[in-house]
Amino acid sequence: MALTAPDHEWKKGSAELLVLSLLEGRPRHGYEISKLIQMRSGGALRFHVTSLYPLLYRLEKRGWVEGRWVEKAEQRRRRYYTLTAEGRRMLRSQRKSWRDFVTAIGRIIGIEHA
Amino acid sequence: MPDFRKIVEERIAPLHLKASAENLIEEVTLHLEERYRELRSGGVPEEEAYRETVAELDDMYPIEAELSGNPARQEAAPPGDASKGNLGVDLWRDLRYAPRMLRHNPVFVVFVVVTLALGIGANTTVFTFINTLVLNPLPVYKPAELVAVATAEMKSTAKSAAALPISYPNLKDYRTKNEVFSSLAGYTSPHIVTLQTNSGSERMFSELVTGDYFTALGLRPAKGRFFSPDEDSAGGALAVAVMNYATWQGRFGGTDDVIGKTLRLNGIVFSVIGVAPPRFIGVNAIFGPDLWIPSAMSERLLPGEMQNALEDRSKAVFLGVARLRPGVSRAQATADIATIASGLARAYPDANAGRTATVRPIADVIFSADSSNTGPPPVLLASAVLLLVVGIVLLIACSNVTNLLLARSAAWQQEIAVRLAMGASRSRLMRQLLTESVLLGLLSGIAGLLVGYAGQQLLNSLRPAEVGANMVAPHMDGNVLAFTLIVSLVTGFIFGTVPAWRASRVSVAEALKEETHTAGRSRRRITFANALLVGQVAFSFISLVTAALFLRSIQRAYEIDPGFQTQHLAVFLTNPGQAGYGKAQTKAFYKDVRERVTALPGVESASWASSLPLWGRVASGLEIEGREPRSKADTITTVVNTVDLDYFKTASIGLVRGRDFSRMDGDNSTAVAIVNEKLAHDYWPGANGIGKHVQLPGEKIRREVIGVVKTANYSALGEPPQPCVYMPLEQDFSDAMVLYVRSKAEPQQILTAVQREMRLAGPEVLVNDVRTGSTIVDQALFGARLGVALLSVFGLLALGLASVGLYGVVAYSVTLRKKEIGVRMALGAAQSSVLRLVLKQGMSLVLTGVLIGFAAAMAVMRLLTRALYGVGPSDPVSVVGAAGVLLAIALVACYLPARSASRLDPLVALREG
Repeated sequence: MALTAPDHEWKKGSAELLVLSLLEGRPRHGYEISKLIQMRSGGALRFHVTSLYPLLYRLEKRGWVEGRWVEKAEQRRRRYYTLTAEGRRMLRSQRKSWRDFVTAIGRIIGIEHA
Repeated sequence: MPDFRKIVEERIAPLHLKASAENLIEEVTLHLEERYRELRSGGVPEEEAYRETVAELDDMYPIEAELSGNPARQEAAPPGDASKGNLGVDLWRDLRYAPRMLRHNPVFVVFVVVTLALGIGANTTVFTFINTLVLNPLPVYKPAELVAVATAEMKSTAKSAAALPISYPNLKDYRTKNEVFSSLAGYTSPHIVTLQTNSGSERMFSELVTGDYFTALGLRPAKGRFFSPDEDSAGGALAVAVMNYATWQGRFGGTDDVIGKTLRLNGIVFSVIGVAPPRFIGVNAIFGPDLWIPSAMSERLLPGEMQNALEDRSKAVFLGVARLRPGVSRAQATADIATIASGLARAYPDANAGRTATVRPIADVIFSADSSNTGPPPVLLASAVLLLVVGIVLLIACSNVTNLLLARSAAWQQEIAVRLAMGASRSRLMRQLLTESVLLGLLSGIAGLLVGYAGQQLLNSLRPAEVGANMVAPHMDGNVLAFTLIVSLVTGFIFGTVPAWRASRVSVAEALKEETHTAGRSRRRITFANALLVGQVAFSFISLVTAALFLRSIQRAYEIDPGFQTQHLAVFLTNPGQAGYGKAQTKAFYKDVRERVTALPGVESASWASSLPLWGRVASGLEIEGREPRSKADTITTVVNTVDLDYFKTASIGLVRGRDFSRMDGDNSTAVAIVNEKLAHDYWPGANGIGKHVQLPGEKIRREVIGVVKTANYSALGEPPQPCVYMPLEQDFSDAMVLYVRSKAEPQQILTAVQREMRLAGPEVLVNDVRTGSTIVDQALFGARLGVALLSVFGLLALGLASVGLYGVVAYSVTLRKKEIGVRMALGAAQSSVLRLVLKQGMSLVLTGVLIGFAAAMAVMRLLTRALYGVGPSDPVSVVGAAGVLLAIALVACYLPARSASRLDPLVALREG
């Protein structure tokens, strides 16, 4: 992960937020999630497999996402992750606290947030 | 497509995950496969795509932290922090990481490895030497059980008594009567014999040994067999020999047919029955024979020297080596042997009265045959000094590398800060940096082994070629490898600890601000580097002073007046007896040679003597008129030399009073002798000694003293005066003599002519050994010269390494002060004042180092006083010389960066600094 910040709790939280956000629209598999993070951040953020899957398993254990093996014709089976109701609630609350956090920081360091 | 599933399984297996491993493995595998496919379709070459894909698995920690069975660990360890991880896993990861880091900096790695390899190599060479000579001098079975048995004078205290040889009959009695040894063997010192071949005569060294010699030492032959009991008891009927391994390899080509080969030695045909094991050159660990021959052959092989050696109890030529029975202490053995000795003294008072026998540790005799000097052998002192100096060299190399690592760790601070920010613990980072240092140390160790091997080969090549097989050859073995391994590991720790500790103390916030060179921290770094530098200078000063002192000491040794002239002297060793000459023929040969050589143009005079210069023969039991022995135990030891006419003139030994030997002193006239001043002064104080009588040990007649000559050196250069008695050749026949020739000019010019005349006088007689006066002195000082050469090499190595370090530190501090220097110059400072500024800074460090080094050197040198000849430990020439050389080199090392500082363009300096 190319996030450089002294507070790992904060970093951990942000990674969770990223994954939950990407699952909001529809179920996705692990590789797709990692590609999306890399693409949408313009290459600034990248997850290694060894970080991504433990994170997904942690979210699953908490009941925020649900993983399921899906087999499609002429394709290899994949594990798709879906956001649960609980996960949806967590996403809403984390989004709000992130926005508050960024606004607060922005006020201090002098960057006007749109 | 590579088998990613297998790779994933391998990486996950050591983590011992509790659950969901199957899902994980499958998902991760799919992920990697997809990534690989994508990279390949993007045109990335196969190999690179593979590498990039697998790199995803580099950090397995998050998986372990999240999914391993240990819930406590899962909570305690933040991602990115491996401090609570498995030590073994971490080490493995560091070991894989370190080479990658090192590959990025090839110049750095080469510099470090070369620097350390020189230091480690110097240590390896010296340890190889010590390992062979001091730790394992005797390659035999359980050397700790072996003891040396020797005769000793009763009057001397047991500890300091000189170890004298034992006569063969006495040795036999000790062997049969003792109850403390499992075996007791005898051996002589190496004797020169003449090997007759189709192409001429060659010299060989042979030792006469009792039949159980090899069995007592617990040796196994490398080829063939050792002596059988009947071969040493058949009265010398069975002429057999065992060959030295190095002689077999060198002179006889190491061929298998050596067993059964016949050698014609002194006219007797010997057959080789075996080859001794490699590296065994006899009980004397420095110089050994080419052949071992059963003692029963003594008289047949060497009729002159060994006459009656097997029957005469007063003819002591054998040294004893024995193996203690299990449970028997050396004190018990000494008591038992002394009891037997007193019995022998009662039974055979003529030969044994006043004498006893001693049992010493074998280590006492392995460095010299007579071991008459007390105290530790010089080889031990030499080893200690060399170890000290190479230790210093290695320390200096280490501190150079430390400084370099410190400079580099400054550049690394950002990377370290990032890793700290990611949650890596400091101890974990330190471990990783140390792993890198230790790996560097090991790499250098491998290179150091090569340097050490080269050094050892060089040392071996310094041995005189003609006796190469007879001399000890330091060799590398498991001990040396282990020593080098340990030194390399320790080296890695020494130079790695400080930089690792420093690097791990990086302040995250500061380092991330991209301003890598904040003034305060750099200054701290420089202070530490300065301290290291002062230490380096001090240490190299110590090693330079050591080298200089020994160099001066050896210079003084060359100035020693041995009491005989060496400028125009050449000596030629011959043995007409071994060529089969009878007494009359030998006498004629001596006379013929003397007349022929004296007639040669360029020859001043020529004479014969029984001893080589500085190889004096010592005899015990001289009787002197006017000084009747108070007891049988009160014996006088003297140097004995048999000389021909004109000897004193040829050797330039001044006659103090009386007359020289003349043609009148023949077989049938009065027995005469000449003594030296030391003897005359000690035993006839006040009298001039002429007309007094002496009786030499082993002689039945009293000799009248007809002259007194100056005292010379007989056994060693600069030795304390010894009494000496000369006899005329006409009255004391010997079948082996040394021709002394005094040349008018350089002795080299007459060597060929003299040998030609000798061949004409006796075509069968072999000229064994030709030496000039200066080679005699060189050989006498061989050990000292070797030591000084090594010390100088290591001292210069220390100086060179320290200069490189000095240059590096000064250059680095100039880089750091670029801005300041730019400001000074912009404000109008002249080039010369900048030059002075930088020079002053560097040289003040050097001066501090020299002062500290001086104080330390004085302390160290006090310990070495005993080893120095003719110079004190604070010899001003050595101290000033060493300081001068060091300051001059240091000035150059400081001047180069100072000059570049003074040539800075202030504008550029201000913009970049």
